Amino acid sequence: MRSGRAYLFVSPWILGFVLFTGGPILATVALGFTKWDLIGSPVWVGLGNYARLFRKGSEFWTVLRFTAFYTLFSVVFSVGWALFEAALLNSRGVRGTNLFGFFYFIPAVVPMVALTFAFQLILHKELGILNYALSLLGLREGPNWLVDPKVVVWVVVVLNIYTFYAGQMMLIFDSALKEVPKELYEAAEIDGASRIVQFLRITLPAISPILFFNMVTATISSLGTSFTLLYPLTAGGPGKVTQAISLDIYHNAFKTFRVGYACAESVILFLIAAGVSVVMFATSKRWVYYEV
Amino acid sequence: MKRTIVLGVLLGVFIFAGVYAHAETVIKYAHWNALPQDPYNYVKAFEEKNPDIKVEFIQIPEAEYSQKLRSMAMTGTAPDVLCLWEADLADFVRAGWVLSLDAYIKESKELSLDDFIPAVKQLMELQGSLYGLPWCFATEIAYYNKDLFDKAGVAYPGMDWTWEDFENMAKKLTVESEGKVVQWGCDAIGFQGLWYSLAGTFGDAIVDQEGRFSMGSGTKEFLNRWVSLTNAKVVASPQVTTSGVVSADLFMAGRAAMAFNGSWMTSVYKDITDFSWDIMPLPKAKRSYSTLHTGFFAINARSEAKDAVWKFIEFCMSEEGQELINKAYSNPSARLSVLKKGYYKVEGPKGPRNWDAIERTAEFAEWGYVLLPPGLTFDIVKDFNAAVLGQMSVDDAVQQAIEKAIDILGEERVATE
Repeated sequence: MRSGRAYLFVSPWILGFVLFTGGPILATVALGFTKWDLIGSPVWVGLGNYARLFRKGSEFWTVLRFTAFYTLFSVVFSVGWALFEAALLNSRGVRGTNLFGFFYFIPAVVPMVALTFAFQLILHKELGILNYALSLLGLREGPNWLVDPKVVVWVVVVLNIYTFYAGQMMLIFDSALKEVPKELYEAAEIDGASRIVQFLRITLPAISPILFFNMVTATISSLGTSFTLLYPLTAGGPGKVTQAISLDIYHNAFKTFRVGYACAESVILFLIAAGVSVVMFATSKRWVYYEV
Repeated sequence: MKRTIVLGVLLGVFIFAGVYAHAETVIKYAHWNALPQDPYNYVKAFEEKNPDIKVEFIQIPEAEYSQKLRSMAMTGTAPDVLCLWEADLADFVRAGWVLSLDAYIKESKELSLDDFIPAVKQLMELQGSLYGLPWCFATEIAYYNKDLFDKAGVAYPGMDWTWEDFENMAKKLTVESEGKVVQWGCDAIGFQGLWYSLAGTFGDAIVDQEGRFSMGSGTKEFLNRWVSLTNAKVVASPQVTTSGVVSADLFMAGRAAMAFNGSWMTSVYKDITDFSWDIMPLPKAKRSYSTLHTGFFAINARSEAKDAVWKFIEFCMSEEGQELINKAYSNPSARLSVLKKGYYKVEGPKGPRNWDAIERTAEFAEWGYVLLPPGLTFDIVKDFNAAVLGQMSVDDAVQQAIEKAIDILGEERVATE
């Protein structure tokens, strides 16, 4: 009777999960074995979509390569940047850190579409303010920031620092840094440790669980939600240079109406995210300290 | 007691009769644009003329329009009146989701097929029947800055200008200062459709009479010429295009003497106050060609109020409805008799003046690439841009376009030269 009542209480969540998460996940896996253009009934093609994805010369290889590049560097860059900002906010003897915190966080709450549109204008080769500023410094021909394939991949990585999750990570790091016992720094100072040594030997180990948490969430965000940055900023171009897998899924499902193919890509994305998370958890035992 | 029962029955009859007397047919209508404000609100105008029909309007954002309508149609919840994009119309016809309008138009006192621009008949022939009527149309044209032409002493382009004329003008209008281009002969291609329209002027069918993707030697010739002009810095470098449109416009900034763009840009450029400008058809290479854009009014095959839906479509396509629509969106009517009235001509202080450019273009323009899935055409454009930037050869870009078309459409829907 008691357990029946408990099930009753959790049933809204279970129902929601089955209808809106579990069901669609199963449907995605099933549709991955079909050909379907949102018209008529799906046609069973077995592993056909997977074979097409991984065939020689498939553009999916380019998509995977960029996804790996983007995930790796955007995680390193955004986590590093968030930690750097949080460290600045926790600098000893600095006044007005709340005000700085406010300004550091502001870009994270600006809607992504507005932000990317502003960056399209800033980075425009001929009319953009960045190339204008560079011309004042003597650079006659500024780069074509969003169109040159060698440059644009780094631009999208750097712009990650303006995403919501980068701002969120900064706040989490900020509160973690405040929790590091001050005595440890005082003892290290007496021993003559420099600021860098203190950061590497005290700060990093002390906040390693939080660092690990932020790295896992940043990795999953980069894999799954890169769409919100890339779609309005470059739409995956030039060519497929910045076409991350999340963007490619949307493109195939809703622009070329290859729903089965897009579902197969979603399954691959899920496997990649799961695989990367497993590796991260496995290696975390070596460098994450849950007790200081 | 008896008296109470009788009174109750009478009251019931009165209520029922009242409800019946005010019964109205409700039809649902979806569009990607918001309804225009008064006095151009054509839905309101229709309701005033037909008090027994109420139109429930649904606005679906443009970015989701196609997939939303498909999922609605699949689940049997599609609106009664559909305004379908060209590529969607073909798929909706294939799925049997829309009704043929042949019988309706035959009986219509208001509309005649002979009164439509030629492309409507072409589409009807392609699909074997008339399934949709274009709510208005837009096309792709050339824009030029008259002040920059005057300053350089270059004669304005004529209605029959050629690709050679364009190249010569663009070169003369390019200005360099201290080794840097400060004025381009022509802006980079800003709207993705122009790649197809300009390639079409070099002879490629783009979409042939059987509805197959058809790009090849004409596209190569156009791309090679465009690459040369870009490398010579006569044409500006390509910019990032998201959703097929660039965010910054050198023509509007007065830094490009010419530009190719959609006719809808007249409603944006009309606010220009610092230079005079005008419009022309696209330059002719092997033939005159441009692309038409529209949405087609169609009847949902599952609608329970088909006659009311037709009444609404007929009103929208009538001169009264077209005048409201043309004025509200600055787009011309696909009905020749209404087109001549020029309701769409909304001029700014500095341009445009040569409205014949749009009407002339309507005579030769085709549906072309808009009949293909937007994902395919957008993908191909990204490769064309890559070719212009020297990231791949023109031959590879065209070959890749054909392979992509085969991959997405299937071999049977791709014409090989």
